[in-house]
Amino acid sequence: MKRISALLALLLLMCGCGEKADYDIAEVAPDEHLTGEHAHHHHHGHAHAEGEDGRDISGAVENRHVHEAGVRNHGTQWFFNQPWAAPFIWDKILRDSAILLVLAAAVLLFSRLAGRRWQR
Amino acid sequence: MRAIWTFALMTMRSLLRRRTIWGIVLVIILALLGIGQVPSFDVSGQSRFIIEFGLFGLEMGALLLAIGLASNIYPRDRENRTIQPLLAVPLSRIRYLLGRFLGAAIVSGAAMLVGCLGLMLVLTLNGFAVPAALLPATLLLLVEGWFLLSVVFFFSFWTSPPLNAPLTVMIFILSQMSVREFVGLVPGASWLMRTLRLLLPHMDVFHIKDPIAHGVDVPPVYFLLAALYGIAYSVFMLSVALAVFRERDLR
Repeated sequence: MKRISALLALLLLMCGCGEKADYDIAEVAPDEHLTGEHAHHHHHGHAHAEGEDGRDISGAVENRHVHEAGVRNHGTQWFFNQPWAAPFIWDKILRDSAILLVLAAAVLLFSRLAGRRWQR
Repeated sequence: MRAIWTFALMTMRSLLRRRTIWGIVLVIILALLGIGQVPSFDVSGQSRFIIEFGLFGLEMGALLLAIGLASNIYPRDRENRTIQPLLAVPLSRIRYLLGRFLGAAIVSGAAMLVGCLGLMLVLTLNGFAVPAALLPATLLLLVEGWFLLSVVFFFSFWTSPPLNAPLTVMIFILSQMSVREFVGLVPGASWLMRTLRLLLPHMDVFHIKDPIAHGVDVPPVYFLLAALYGIAYSVFMLSVALAVFRERDLR
């Protein structure tokens, strides 16, 4: 009975924090991470080719620009929304690790105590 | 500690005598060789393809190794009745579990190292440079494999080996999901699903194949953080497995 109560208490405790404790990177990423350096650091290789009469003939390629390798680019949010590229969640990784180690110690302790009682 | 180490070495030797480990290593090497043989058709960046698929193959290898190595250890000990004399005098249950886990973890590590060397060889034979972070990336996949190993041990204490494999694969697949995808499985109970997701690791923490394949540097501190994260999950899972094991009546 005590064990079931402990499990229920643990589940309720987890449910209380579950809504806030776990998340995807995209949910908590600051704006500057989501937009990245795209707006500032790309090379404006806008190839405004001009004809002999000085008229802009670049047409459809007017907005073309080149990005440095490894810099945020169009449609690459999935790439930069991975844990290695999101330092703002590294403290969460550390926090989760610490909580799990404490939980493991608690489980070991309780199972040892329960085992001794069972042997009697 | 000495008893655990001695028992781990015994476990390692008994696992190396089985055909399972050699079969899995052979499959990993054949898969890597197959990836190396795919023609590039002059498309640039073939090394990216080899690295991405190679590391994916190593991750699958870690899963296969965990299931192949550990799902049968405890059931076999129980069936052969070798567990009773082991636990009667020289070993406590925690030492038994840690010795078995450590032995399987060493074998898994050696197999992953062979896989990593195979991938390096494939890259070299194809005339591509070997990224410096390939070995650390493999080590992170090994940590993921150790977590899966602890999951297999956990299941092995209360399920049969044929059920152990699909349950472990299910945990593997669910752990790959983002929170959003996981909640999407039962959209009506998002609070419950978010709570359940807390119990599973975010496997993407161990995946750095994309930055390696695209030549992006990963900060060294991240490797330490990710390794700590995986080891913490493995320790937690082993503690739960031990709690189940302590409750088992072996008679």
